[in-house]
Amino acid sequence: MSTSNGGSPGAALDPPASLDHLVVTRWITELDHRLRAAEAYLTELDAAIGDADHGANMTRGARAALTAIAEEATTEAARLVAAVGHALSRSIGGASGPLYGTWFTALGRRLPDAPADPTALAAALTAGLDAVQQLGAAELGDKTMVDALAPAATAAHEAARAGAGLAGTLRLAVAAAEDGALATVPLRARKGRASYLGARSEGHQDPGATSAVIVLDALRAAAEV
Amino acid sequence: MIQSVDRAVSILVELQGARRLRLTELASRLSLPNSTVHGIVATLVARGLVEQDGSGRYGLGPGVLRLSNVYLDSNELRLRSLGWTEALAERTGAAVRVGVLLAGDIVVVHHVLRPDGSHQMREIGIDIPAHGTALGKAVLAYDPEQARQLLEDHALPKLTGRTHVDPAALSEELAAVRRAGVAAAADEAILGEAEVAAPIFDGHDAVVGAIGIVVPSSQAPTDQATTDEVRRAAVNISRELGAAAWPPTTFEVASSGG
Repeated sequence: MSTSNGGSPGAALDPPASLDHLVVTRWITELDHRLRAAEAYLTELDAAIGDADHGANMTRGARAALTAIAEEATTEAARLVAAVGHALSRSIGGASGPLYGTWFTALGRRLPDAPADPTALAAALTAGLDAVQQLGAAELGDKTMVDALAPAATAAHEAARAGAGLAGTLRLAVAAAEDGALATVPLRARKGRASYLGARSEGHQDPGATSAVIVLDALRAAAEV
Repeated sequence: MIQSVDRAVSILVELQGARRLRLTELASRLSLPNSTVHGIVATLVARGLVEQDGSGRYGLGPGVLRLSNVYLDSNELRLRSLGWTEALAERTGAAVRVGVLLAGDIVVVHHVLRPDGSHQMREIGIDIPAHGTALGKAVLAYDPEQARQLLEDHALPKLTGRTHVDPAALSEELAAVRRAGVAAAADEAILGEAEVAAPIFDGHDAVVGAIGIVVPSSQAPTDQATTDEVRRAAVNISRELGAAAWPPTTFEVASSGG
């Protein structure tokens, strides 16, 4: 099984088997690209049921996370992820700052010191979900980021148990998150600013669940290199 | 209570929640026969309070907008608040809301956007469980009967993980509001949002609502000058409504929290 991503020049690179600092750095770099590409879309979703600032908040957060990773200068994946969490808490406004900050921080706390295998990653995704639910008091079906993060954590556990590799585990987690985000469309928001709209929140995809898919898919892409 | 009037109101409330419903859906939600609901709904359609769309589903009609506009235009609290809310938003740079208590919820009757030109949701007409917002705490602190009912009769919902829901703790918090004359909340209704609010009284020394600002939680707790601005706005609106003292003398010696 491959354990390193930094093979000799010209050698065929196997996808990484575990979540190491290189994967985390690629993750946040990917996330920055993807959020910038999706900024207008997230803004549009948030304009329908929020304050139309989710796109700008997330891109600002990703830039701060990149800086934090560069400054952290460590080869411990868990510490990098926690540093991203702290950067997001500080830099993103609204509800997304505390929520994504908490998610990344809890992930970093749960990840082992050594590079994480799929089982450890699944456990970290559950820890992140738990922390977000404790902070936001949102349940599955409340039309929040939990509707993407919860099925992703469940799918990651199942995939890891079935022996899927790191990339395979993340592919299944992302697919579950995408389904969960799409399923928020008909729901009525029960938490967050969108809940102020009551029935008028129905018929719109939740911006937080949508950005959660982007966060997870950036990690998948980082693990597939 | 007149049964048919009560049913008519129930129909309007169901349509408010669900937007569009077929006759059979409406009837099953009210646990009434189709024929009974049809008679009432046909009357509401004839009077413009309900309308039927192309696919036969019922929804609220334009008559409701006319009624709600008149409510907003004739709500004296709102009218008296208009000038003061603008001024408060200007001075604090924050969004300003005026709310009234209705069945355990704060209904926002006036909202001035944060004066930074950004896109913001209009909040007039939204309701927030009273215990989760500083507006609600400001009103409940001076409405002991409503506070008692709310704290005793309901399992209070958590709007975020930081909503205060323990009745004993909330009761103490309301006593603290009476001592300070202002209420505060952070991350309790919406994560990332903090509030400062103060109660508004009328000429009968009754609390009729509250005025409050909304700021990012990163700016909480707000400084004394900002808190004073909120209190001053509440005092000024209360004076316009005929209040002789703020808070009323019945509350002046704040209850010792017991």
